[in-house]
Amino acid sequence: MKKEMSAECAAVLGGISAYLDGELEATACDAIEQHCQSCPSCASVIAGLRDTIGLCRGAAINELPDGVKEKAQASIAALLKNKAR
Amino acid sequence: MSLADRCSAVRVGDTGTIDDVVVTNRDAAHQSRSDTVRAEYAGLVRKAAAGDEQAMEQLLMRAQEVAYRFSLLVCGHPEDAEDVMQDALLNTYRHVSQIKDPDAFRTWLYQTVRNACLMKRRRRVDEPATMTSIEQGGVTGDGDAAPVDVADVSNRSADQQLIDSWLGARLRRALEALPAGYRVIVVLREIEGLSTREVATVTGLSEANVKQRLHRARMMLRQSLEDL
Repeated sequence: MKKEMSAECAAVLGGISAYLDGELEATACDAIEQHCQSCPSCASVIAGLRDTIGLCRGAAINELPDGVKEKAQASIAALLKNKAR
Repeated sequence: MSLADRCSAVRVGDTGTIDDVVVTNRDAAHQSRSDTVRAEYAGLVRKAAAGDEQAMEQLLMRAQEVAYRFSLLVCGHPEDAEDVMQDALLNTYRHVSQIKDPDAFRTWLYQTVRNACLMKRRRRVDEPATMTSIEQGGVTGDGDAAPVDVADVSNRSADQQLIDSWLGARLRRALEALPAGYRVIVVLREIEGLSTREVATVTGLSEANVKQRLHRARMMLRQSLEDL
């Protein structure tokens, strides 16, 4: 059976994105950190969120794939040639 | 360590670990990357508007890259990508000579691409009747997730392989599982590196709403990644 979340945990997790984004005041940060020292469940969520954000921000978005890039370059060349006339 | 840095460092269970520093630096790097990219766009716009053909070519290529990524990652309709790229190309070319605020170009580009994706969807005769907009998709009026009809993704192995090479298969699957109204926020904010204000401008949502959706999307992503 799923354990019901305490009001304190709900409050901590509700503000966790602001905490991770560095938008909270020092007192609010302290309260979250203190809570996490005695709450492995919230600590685990924060660690998971940190990893999730890291995974997104570390995405290796590269250039267009070859076939698409060639088409894009051809479209640019055609547009600029046409406008130059 | 500044207050902002201190608060963005996740100090769970201990303090002053290497992980703390990594997270702090990552946040700073994210903001820095966002500022750098916006400045790069603005610089290219100024040069292109002044007649620099090379800058114009770079700008037009970037516009098409944004259009392609948005089509794949946000809309989930790679078959639309070519048309959306063409729209981005022509609109960027027309817009550059008229732009008054080069710093606003980046958000203008994402707005243009988003609108092109939406228009493309509306024009499709085979569009599912329950398809909703990119921003509202899968999100109820109060911001909760709701079921949404999305494009069939069963025949997209080549596109999936490409996205997997960018994001990894786990993150790609977790992103696909997000309601569209949350996916657009995550992609713009976390992957494309726009600021909260820029995401709000692009999507037409308030900054508070962007933050709320980002929070919920992160929680859903975390859960999906744990389950996968």
